Amino acid sequence: MLRYIVRRVLGAIPVLFGLSVILFAFVRLLPGDPAIAILGQHATPALIQQVHQSLGLDKPIYIQYIQYINGLLHGDFGYSIINGRSVLSDFAHRFPGTVELTIGALIVAVGIGIPLGRLAARHPNGWIDGTVTVISLFGISIPIFVLGYSLVFIFAVQLHWLPAAGQLDPRIDLTPHTNMVLIDAIIDGQPAAFVDGLRHLVLPAIALGSIPLAIITRITRASVIDVSNEDYVRTARAKGLSERRVNDRHIMRNAWLPVTTIIGLEVGGLLAGAVITETVFSWNGVGSWVVDAIQDHDYFVIQSSILIFAVIFLMVNLVVDIGYAYLNPRIRYG
Amino acid sequence: MARSRLFTLLAVAGLAFSACSGAAVTQAPSSAAPAVSTAPAAGSAAPSPGASTAAGAPKEGGTLVVGLDGDMVYADPSLISDSNSSYVDAQVVQGLVGLKPGTVSDVIPVLAAAMPTVSADGKTYTFTLRTGIKFHDGTPFNAAAVKYNYDRWKNFPAGPLQDNAYYYGAVFGGFGASSNIASVDAPNDTTVIFHLKQPQSNFLISQTIQPFGIQSPAALAAGDANNPQLDKNPYAQGQGGVGKSMVGTGPFMFKEWVPNDHVTLVKNPNYWDPAGMAHLDQIVFKPFKDQTAKLQALQSGDIDFAQTVSPSDVQTIQSSGNLQVIDRGQSCNIGQISMNQDPNTKGADDPAGHKLLQNKDIRMAIAYAVNKQAYIQAFYAGLAKPADNWMPPSTQYYKPENLPTYDPTKAKQLIQQSGVPANQLTIDLYYPSDVVRPYMPDPKGLAQAIAQDLQAVGFTINLKSEGWRTGYISDEEVGKFPMWLLGWTCDWAGPDNFLLTAFFHYNGNTPSPEFAYRNDELNQTMTAALAATDPTQIQALWQKAQDLIAADMPTVPLVNSAPPGAAAKYVMGFVGAGNLTEEFNSVWLNK
Amino acid sequence: MTAGSTTVAVRAASTRASRGLWRDAFQRLLRNGPALVGLFCIAVFVVGAIFAPFIAPYDPVVGKIVDRMQPPSAAHLMGTDLLGRDEFSRVLYGARLSLQVGVIAVVFGLFFGVSIGAIAGGAGGKVDAVLMRITDVLLAVPGILLAIGIVAWLGRGQLQIMLAVGVSYAPIFARLLRGSLLALRESDFVIAARSMGASAPRILLRHMLPNALTPLIVQATLALATAIIDVAGLGFLGLGPGDPRIAEWGEMLTDSARFLQSAPYLIFFPGAAITISAIGFNLLGDGLRESLDPRLKR
Repeated sequence: MLRYIVRRVLGAIPVLFGLSVILFAFVRLLPGDPAIAILGQHATPALIQQVHQSLGLDKPIYIQYIQYINGLLHGDFGYSIINGRSVLSDFAHRFPGTVELTIGALIVAVGIGIPLGRLAARHPNGWIDGTVTVISLFGISIPIFVLGYSLVFIFAVQLHWLPAAGQLDPRIDLTPHTNMVLIDAIIDGQPAAFVDGLRHLVLPAIALGSIPLAIITRITRASVIDVSNEDYVRTARAKGLSERRVNDRHIMRNAWLPVTTIIGLEVGGLLAGAVITETVFSWNGVGSWVVDAIQDHDYFVIQSSILIFAVIFLMVNLVVDIGYAYLNPRIRYG
Repeated sequence: MARSRLFTLLAVAGLAFSACSGAAVTQAPSSAAPAVSTAPAAGSAAPSPGASTAAGAPKEGGTLVVGLDGDMVYADPSLISDSNSSYVDAQVVQGLVGLKPGTVSDVIPVLAAAMPTVSADGKTYTFTLRTGIKFHDGTPFNAAAVKYNYDRWKNFPAGPLQDNAYYYGAVFGGFGASSNIASVDAPNDTTVIFHLKQPQSNFLISQTIQPFGIQSPAALAAGDANNPQLDKNPYAQGQGGVGKSMVGTGPFMFKEWVPNDHVTLVKNPNYWDPAGMAHLDQIVFKPFKDQTAKLQALQSGDIDFAQTVSPSDVQTIQSSGNLQVIDRGQSCNIGQISMNQDPNTKGADDPAGHKLLQNKDIRMAIAYAVNKQAYIQAFYAGLAKPADNWMPPSTQYYKPENLPTYDPTKAKQLIQQSGVPANQLTIDLYYPSDVVRPYMPDPKGLAQAIAQDLQAVGFTINLKSEGWRTGYISDEEVGKFPMWLLGWTCDWAGPDNFLLTAFFHYNGNTPSPEFAYRNDELNQTMTAALAATDPTQIQALWQKAQDLIAADMPTVPLVNSAPPGAAAKYVMGFVGAGNLTEEFNSVWLNK
Repeated sequence: MTAGSTTVAVRAASTRASRGLWRDAFQRLLRNGPALVGLFCIAVFVVGAIFAPFIAPYDPVVGKIVDRMQPPSAAHLMGTDLLGRDEFSRVLYGARLSLQVGVIAVVFGLFFGVSIGAIAGGAGGKVDAVLMRITDVLLAVPGILLAIGIVAWLGRGQLQIMLAVGVSYAPIFARLLRGSLLALRESDFVIAARSMGASAPRILLRHMLPNALTPLIVQATLALATAIIDVAGLGFLGLGPGDPRIAEWGEMLTDSARFLQSAPYLIFFPGAAITISAIGFNLLGDGLRESLDPRLKR
């Protein structure tokens, strides 16, 4: 297993290298001009040239690439041409927010999705199954921004139960340590901030979790039904094992396999969904960061931030694959 | 007092200024829509109080949470040119002069004790400063501090500092030796003398904008504010506390900035002007990229004040019991259908369309075909006026032009008169897909409405879009689109800022490629207007310029809008301004 | 390996059944209540799309701005939008573009995904490793960013958007298929086939693919629904498809989201159209899955 992990990590290096070339090219193929990001309608040919010079964009492309890679190897991921902040420090400030949101969404999706899927699979095509199907379909059939606005409208604007936006009431003073509100509140022993942070998390987590929730429900249902029809399950039942034992030992153990694959895949989907959720809820995370960077033509942020995303995703995938091997000993990694 | 004199100077110096910036007239403080809108319309403008004026004695204390349209960019006001930073900075830093609250054009002394005396040749400005003022870090404000700031800007090295300190370069024609400021003298603690190389009419008005706020020399030095590597510049990044960044003299002090999350300002208990002492203990600015999210945050009580709201939400706000709409009254912008008449533009998107627009009958037909009043009702919540000129009515020397109003029959006649066959009336219309602007709150809707009106008189319109910074601005500036939606928010409310800087300037002997509109007589008239000294003559020349443009209809003006804001009803004492230069020291919470 | 060969593979599986698989499956499908409901939902929209010119009471593209934002009434069953266009006519016509967007995007996704997944899962070893790392990279770039990239490259338009959404699905299909194939490689019937000397491509096509398709079908039907949503999401970020005047449910929803409070009907009707068609695709997909799986024969 260790050898496998080492090989996967080493295998990722050429992939990331390839990605860096692609990203570097992509950013330069984007229509528009990075100088416009700073100058806007003020731009004049002379000013544009001046900005190109200070960004080093007047140099030959291969030199720019070498400088970029050289920086990466030295831990310098570049800086934003809009606000001058280093990409790494912005990432460090904003990634924890996305992690918090993603974990919240995963808890919603897995915590509700798996029981719901098992419930539906108990009597396929029964009325419970039908209801669960329709509910989960609603989840994926409503765009996140519509769901988000609607949730806010109902629970924040009308009922005043939950806040509408952000991670913490700006009137509460909380020192950032980890930039995850809940954890910072625990570190500082501020129960009020913890509760407020939790209240802020509920709606975005539901909005973001809605799509994986539906998918996890469906996949759980499908694989439980699949496995239930396997010979060994029938055998187990024939042997007179209790239904509960059959469920836990034989069905779920095997049904987990596709479910974990999907959970792993959905983490990527959550990052994508976070792009819109973070905008709707003014959530300070990396999803909106990258989209802003693309819209703002913020050169160095685009190329470096997506590269960082890629590294994180490769790591998540590796963990999923290891989980896979653990759950299904039949898979051999030669 | 110095006012009438100032206006004479305005015109004179315009010439000098444009002369010293050579071919690039655009170097004059132009303005991006999100830019710092300073706006001085000469002599125009009654103050337009936005929200409730204080009823009864103001209550002290409390925190106001303001929903801003976007995040601050730098904590050093010298390096910003965007409206969000500027909105925050206006509470913290002050310049020698400023705008009277609620106006877009009334210049008043702030850190100066009075308006300056100006030498006969218009090159020397002598300011007397107020005394007893301290910066937020406790160091004294004095003439040496003013000199330090102006010298600092002038000596910014090429690179990121110059790139971001756009306004200094633009207003003074460059940095270092290129700057129009020859020197700044501080003969004693309370006297500052500016020596200009050429008279510069916009000198005073331009110094009202936030990038010219005076900051504490000690704090700038301590925060390594001149470090050109901005990611390693602690002052610009604002990661210290009170007295570490944005150290000015204003009624509020910078306390904290969590990028993309919030900026916190606290009351300055030692503010120099007892009358301007802040009522609030604290202001928190929270960025909202999304207008609907901002509105919902306001409705749910997350925020108390929304800097702007989408006009489509105005009715919802009005009908809610606990919110108020902030009507900023006067407009300082213009939205228009831009047109480019040059089919030979490199990379022209639709050469036939460009060529079509060379035909004046076609341009006039378009002007008659668009129903401005309907757009104002549909997209601006009625908070706009049909544009009757290429600048808003608050502008100096403004003259109504009686431009075409909605008349589809007349439009069809003009098309017939143009002799263009019906199957050649096809043209591309571009709109920006990912931004809203005060003069254009719903570009996609507006573009469709215009297309609908133009199709009704016989045109075929292809609607196309690009991202604002991912193609739109860079393409329209070189004239790639035949027809597109764009506008201008004033830097200052003078005709030169709109007609010349924003629109129809020449680069040398050729029209700017943006509109490719050649009218040599217009160019000569505007140049002469800038050079003139006699107020009647200035007025006559600018009005002639407006008439020349109106006769040609090179682009079709649509609206002048007043961007609405909103606040909870308990927010009292706010004074709004059409250019969004607004101060919160008069604000208090009635709850 | 193309989407076409998926069909080949499915056909190959039919040799295992005594009667024709498709006939068999079709009969089972007809007995499946939920699937018929799904089929009905889709049929309604397909019929609406085809006969829109005869059913729609108004022009879906041109309206009168003075008639804007009218709530539902006898004259306008679903009200009118910001530009005074009849919402009912737009929902009807919108079916054309929206269904097309969903189907074509998923076809693009399946084309790339099945190709990669089948080769990786079938070949195993180094080929698998290389292809999966490429897939990982594609997955590592969130779909929306991938889509923005493709739109930035190819310009704006319907085809570009469909391609962008489709490509963002491809790695999911690929991994799903490859995961199933990997598990199947060690299953009894594959080992049996291998021991009988069947060639690798033959084992892949005839034995493994048909058995690995079940999760893919579920995912693809879900994707049909989400493709429409994803297009709406791109619209939310200002990357909508082409001409905004041409009705498309996702974009209609995006443009109306800000009228949640002032004109909720503008969200409700296109939203309902998307939801109903999504439910339709899913019910049908489920029915199909059950019908195609001989083990579920009742």
